[in-house]
This record gives sequence, structure tokens and C-alpha cells, in this order.
Amino acid sequence: MRLARYIGYRLVTALPVIFGIIVLNFLLIHLAPGDAASVLAGESGAATPEYMEELRHKFGLDQSLGMQFLTYVSNMAHFNLGYSYRNDADVSGLILERLGPTSLLMLTAFGTALALGIILGLLAATGRNSWRDNIISVISLVAYATPGFWLGLMMIVIFSIGLGWLPTSGFDTVGSGHQGWAEVWDIGRHLVMPAVSLALFYLALYARLMRASILEQTGMDYVTTARAKGQTERRIITGHVLRNALLPVVTLAGVQAGNLIGGSIVVETVFGWPGIGTLAFNALQSRDLNLLLAIFFISACLVVIINLAVDVIYVLLDPRMEI
Amino acid sequence: MVDFPPLNKISRRSALALPLGLAASTISNNFVKADEPVRGGTMVMIVQPEPSTLAHYAVTAGNIPPIATQIYEGLVTYDWDQNPQPNLAKSWEIAPDGKSITFKLREDVFFHNGASFTSADVQFSFMEILKKYHPFAPLLLAELTGVDTPDATTAILRLANPAPYLMKALAGRDLPIMCKSVFEGTQILQNPSANKPIGTGPFKFGQWDRGQFVRLDRNEKYWKPGLPYLDHIIARFIPDAATRSAALETGEAHFAGYSAVNYADLARMKTNPILDTTMKGYEMTPALSVLELNAKHPPLDKKEVRQAIAYAIDRKVILRDVMYGYGQPATGPLSKLFKTVGFYTDDVRNYDVPDRLDIANKLLDGAGLPRGANGMRFGIHLEVNSFGEQWLRQAEYLKQALAIVGIDLTLRSEDTATWLRRVYTNYDYDINEPFLSQGVDPVYGLNKQYLTSQIRKGVTFVNDSFYSNPEFDNILNEAMREQDHDKRAALYKKAQQILAEDCPLVWLIDVQYVSVFNRKLHDHTTGPLGTQQAFERAWLEK
Repeated sequence: MRLARYIGYRLVTALPVIFGIIVLNFLLIHLAPGDAASVLAGESGAATPEYMEELRHKFGLDQSLGMQFLTYVSNMAHFNLGYSYRNDADVSGLILERLGPTSLLMLTAFGTALALGIILGLLAATGRNSWRDNIISVISLVAYATPGFWLGLMMIVIFSIGLGWLPTSGFDTVGSGHQGWAEVWDIGRHLVMPAVSLALFYLALYARLMRASILEQTGMDYVTTARAKGQTERRIITGHVLRNALLPVVTLAGVQAGNLIGGSIVVETVFGWPGIGTLAFNALQSRDLNLLLAIFFISACLVVIINLAVDVIYVLLDPRMEI
Repeated sequence: MVDFPPLNKISRRSALALPLGLAASTISNNFVKADEPVRGGTMVMIVQPEPSTLAHYAVTAGNIPPIATQIYEGLVTYDWDQNPQPNLAKSWEIAPDGKSITFKLREDVFFHNGASFTSADVQFSFMEILKKYHPFAPLLLAELTGVDTPDATTAILRLANPAPYLMKALAGRDLPIMCKSVFEGTQILQNPSANKPIGTGPFKFGQWDRGQFVRLDRNEKYWKPGLPYLDHIIARFIPDAATRSAALETGEAHFAGYSAVNYADLARMKTNPILDTTMKGYEMTPALSVLELNAKHPPLDKKEVRQAIAYAIDRKVILRDVMYGYGQPATGPLSKLFKTVGFYTDDVRNYDVPDRLDIANKLLDGAGLPRGANGMRFGIHLEVNSFGEQWLRQAEYLKQALAIVGIDLTLRSEDTATWLRRVYTNYDYDINEPFLSQGVDPVYGLNKQYLTSQIRKGVTFVNDSFYSNPEFDNILNEAMREQDHDKRAALYKKAQQILAEDCPLVWLIDVQYVSVFNRKLHDHTTGPLGTQQAFERAWLEK
């Protein structure tokens, strides 16, 4: 009951934060020079001033900044994310299209990285300075230091061009007409390389953090006490150390989960994955403000929700925490 | 260009076919298929970057036509000599005074929505869509006053003055024909068919998954009997250049035009046995890379200084190190591709002479710009083109080349929107590094870039160097309406000579695009418009 009230309270206080973010985003974005009409005309190679005026009128760029802001806020209040004139499509549709592939890629990569990272960190810490620890440390250092795009390209060279096992890019085989499990298998084959190249970086991060965190906890008094009570090392780690050691990892994962919706521009670009990262990047390049603002807005909401979730997980992990 | 001996071809194929127990029939098919088209199959082409819209009639970005010209057709098409050939129009006649063109249209053509194609569609397309919204209309359709439709199969274009260039611009790429009933009574720019185009072409729009692909489906009722051969065309969008190359190398994609493959990767592509390259299909797509010099910013207002910059640059270095040898050094304001139609001349001031550095130094000394203590005469900024990495490499070379004659160049890189705003609206630049498409006729490339009337604040890719020469203006305006080809050519020759002398721009490279294709794909490049015309005859070996 107390928890439910706390969550409700946090959600209500989040509203002004989100409103502040909307205002700030809107103002920041309008500081960037150039507008969508000139980019569109620039790509066409020619245009008349009348045509550019008509474009600006159509885009609503001929109104004062205040009017544009009011229109924008009133749209948002009606849960209307607006229209992308550049793409001749509704913003919500454009984002929804990308949401599936983005979540699939990010959740796969993030979930794998978190689970494997925690396990590897645990293995490394419990066998401190053994061969096991050394191998895991070296691998995570290399994975942490390798640029994602390079790793991606090398995988393409080896697994697509060299061995011919996996497709180079895309979300599925276009026009193959796969259905049911055949389609799942097809998408899975396309998912492997982008997910791996994205996961490796996070995996290294969590493994290193987990290892350090466990080692720090094992030096604590409560561990000595547990040992004095005659508990086995295994019981000490799983029963006492693990929960405490997870706290920093959850904190970091919470911060990074905010990036989920943003996708990864680099990995999406290399593997031609239809994610939100490239959508946002192209929107910025072409000054497609409605689309860009909508992506910012959704990201902001997600960050607020994930922060709340992390705080709740804290409580579950560590009953000493007050809410 | 490696030709495999036929024997080799058979053995490789039959080896593959044997497990299926089809060896005999496969071999006999193989003998035929080298020149006999096969029906069916899905061709995957790479289009880079992904278009933002398919509103081909209102946006002319170069990545739209490879998709849109499969769907929208023009009144005519062009043979390799760039002569118009019948397409939606069966025949045409230009009036002796040049002020009207009468088109006889085909009767057996249907749009993808089932509506039959008539002169009303031509009238509506030209007057209500293209004339009002096409970015090139102020150049190509300036003289068009109306379209008469005495009957369903006759359309007469009425012109205020002769417009000889118009007959070069009637392909689906430049002036497409849309369906009247789709657009009538709607806001043209908001029409839902923008991204679900409806035309008369060999392929119908199927599906667009943004960020991934556009699928086009065979038009079963296409008016050319038996065509197209392919069942589907998939246009795929892969943002990373290295991955694009990889997709071709693995056979996932069959075709990549318009230099979608990096010049740096082409050497590797050529050694791949399943791939080949061609430079054909770009004959009606001339383009120059240039430097625009802002004549409002001293010392660039002095002709001698502009000429000195033109002399100081070694175009062969740019060609070798930036363009990987694809293209030719530009000699003047028109692309060499205009040689085919007789408008190009190299009889102009030559900036590529052995003693060019001495000349440049003398010109700068003469302009009252002596070298300072650090060896530099003056410093200016170069706005780096934001459309790709090669422009930064070119800018880096330019900095070195101009330093030799004592000009200190500072490079400035900004994103596209900021760059366009700075150069074409604020005019806050010294040297700009654009890439100029020259269209199908000198009218297009010359008029918008050099006429005094084309100094138009806020409009991109027009006269932003403030070049203004009344004598030159008169020549261009005369050439625009001159019906006699030889007289027209003489006028353009004079125009090129004046420009080369005044040097408002520095012309660098006559660009050559390259297509990479899978050897299984045949008849993909069947005319001078190349990738920007329909793949109706393209076919894939099974």
C-alpha cells in the first residue's frame, strides 16, 4: 500500500518535470540555424521563393515562435505527436514502426549483456586472480575498448562475406514471404550480429562493475560475521553478498536503460537496422522538428519511468532503504 | 570486364543443379539464357540515402527517381543519342514557330488505379502539378502557358516563346505524368499518393517500410506487352557504405547505381567474380564539382584573384586522390557530356597549364596582395560540403594547394541545414564547395547558376556568387529561345568563353557515377537515363 502511494506520488511529481523537458527541448531545437524548408529545397537542387514560402507555410514555420509553441503544447495535451512534413506521415506512425525493431534489438542486447555481465563478474570475483578471473578480465577489457562499428564490420566480413552464415544487414529478408517460425528464424538470423556488437560493450561494463562490487562487499564486516557463523562460501555469496553487490549494477543499468529508446545510431547504421536512433539523427539533420521533439518526449518519459523502477528495485533488494 | 568461357559457366551451374536431379534441363536452359530474358524474380537494388518522400513531382532529390521512375512515366523516353523516343506519346510535332508542341497519346494505357490515361491527365499534370510545384518549373516550364486537349488522345503544349530544351526534359525522371483523378480537388502537396504513388509505369507501388525498403510489384496490365520481366523490385536502404558493399558481395543486392558504393571500394568490387561495374547510364546526368566564390567578399571581387585560385588548383590531384580516378578534370562551366549534343566547348581560357603556379602568383601580385611575413597574402574561409566525406578530403587538398600561392584557407564544417542557411540566405561565406547537377540542357545548369536574375536570397543552389554580366545575360536569354541548333551551339560557346574568363566559379571535376551490379542481372542499363528510368527490361538469371 505504501509502495503504491509512493509510486503515485512520484508519477504526479514527474508531470512538471516532463513539462519542463518539453519546453526546454522546444527552445533548444529552435536555436539550431536553418529550417526544414531549406533542407528540402536544398536536396531538390532548386526552388522558387514562392515555393519555399508555401513549404514554410505548410510546415507552420511562418508563425511566431510563441504561436508554434502553443500549437505544439496543445497538440501534446491531446496526445497528438504531430505530423512530419518531410516524411509526409504522422509522427506517431513513424515512431511506432521503429519501436518494434528498436525494442527487439535493445532488449536482446541489454538483457544478454546484463545477465551475462552479472554471471561473468561473479565468476571472476569468486575466483579472484585465478585463470578464470584473468580470462574474463582480458575479454571484458578488449570488448570495452573495441569500437562497436569496427566490431560490426569485422563480423560482416567474417560471417557474411567469408562464411556466408548470416545476412549482412536489414531486419528480415524482404519479399521472402516467410510466415510463423520461419519468419522468427529469419529475423533471428538478422538480429545476431547487431545484438552481439551492441551487447559486448555493455557486457564488459557490467562484468567489470560486478566483479569490483563483489570484491568490495566481501571485505565487509558482515561477511566476516557470516563466515564466523560457519556459513559456506557459496551461501555467503548468494545469501549476503550478491544482493548488496547488485545495487551499483542496477544503478548503472537504470541510467543506461534510458538509452534504450534512443537506440544505437552506430549499430543501426552499420547493419541497416530500422531503429529509432537513425530516425532521430535524420530528423535532426533535416530539421524535422515535430519528429525530433516527439522522440525526445518519449525518451524523457521513459527515463522518468525507469528511474522510478530502479528506485523500487532498490527497495526490493535492500529492505533498509526508506521510501 | 572478365568474360567467363561458356564451358566454365555450364560446369559451375550443373554442379549446383545436380543434387536436384535437374542437371540436363538446367544446362540446356543455360545456353538460352545468356541472351534470352527470363520472366520472374525479385531484383534488389540499393538506393542511398533513403528518400524522405516519393512525391517525385514536387521534390527532385536524386534518390527519388530510381524508385519513382518505375512508377511514373513521361511522354517520351530517350535513345543512346539522346533523341526522344515514343513512350506515353506515340508521336509529336513541333510547330514551325516553336510555340506549340502537339502530342498524340497512346490509347491503351491505364494507371495503376485502373483509370485510363488521357490528354486530361497530361493537362492536369503539367498545369496543376508540375508548373506549380516542380522545383525546376521556373526553368523548364517558364514558357508554358497552357495545355489544350482537343480530344482524349491529343495534348498540345502552348508556349509563350520557343523552348527547345523542353524536348530534352520529357522523360519520367524530369516531367512525370500523374493521374488527374487522384489529385483533382485535393491539396497537391498534401495528397496521400505522395508516398503511395500511382502512375502508368511497369511497376506498382507495393509497400514502404521506413528505414528498410520500398517494394514495387509487377504491373500485370502494363501497356508494353510481355513487360516487365521482373516480379518485384526491392529498393533497400543501408546507411553504412561498407555494409552496402558487403550486401553486393554476398549477392543479397543486385544493383547499386549513382555511386552508392564508395569509390574506394570499387577496385575490390571489380575483382569479385559475381559482380561487374559500368559507367553507362549517366549520359543525361551531367554534374560538376565546383567552388563558388563570393564576389561580395574582397578580395574575391577581383577577377584576377578568382582566376589565380582557378590556376592554383591541380584538378588531376583531386581526380586521383579524392575521386579515385572516376571523372575528368573540368575545363569550364559545362560538363563534357554536353559534347554529344554539341553544346560543349573546350575552346575557353585554360587553367590547367604547366606554368599555372607562376601565373597565379603573378595575378595575385598584380592584384596588390603581396605575401606577408608568414608567406601568406590573405586568409579566407571554405564552407565544406556536408553531403559526404569526400568533400572534406577535397577541402583538405584545396587548403594545401592554395597555401602554395599564399592564400590561407580555413575550413568550416557544419551540418546541412546550417550550411545551406549560411551560404544561400545569409551569404556569410567566402568560398563554397557545392556539387552542381547540370540537368538535360545548358538552360538548366547555366541559367540558374549565372544569370543576374537568379541572385535570389534564401533559394538554394542558384546564383549565390553575385555574378552579373549583362552581355552574358543577353546571350543566355537568346540561346534559351533559339530554335536553330547550330546558332544555339554558337551562343553557348560564347557564353562558356565569357564565364571562363570572368571566373565566377572554379570548375573542378566533371563527375562520373558508377553502377555496380550482379552478373546475374541483365539489361539493367538500357538508355542514357540509366538508373533513373524504368527497369522494365531488366531480368535475372534463375
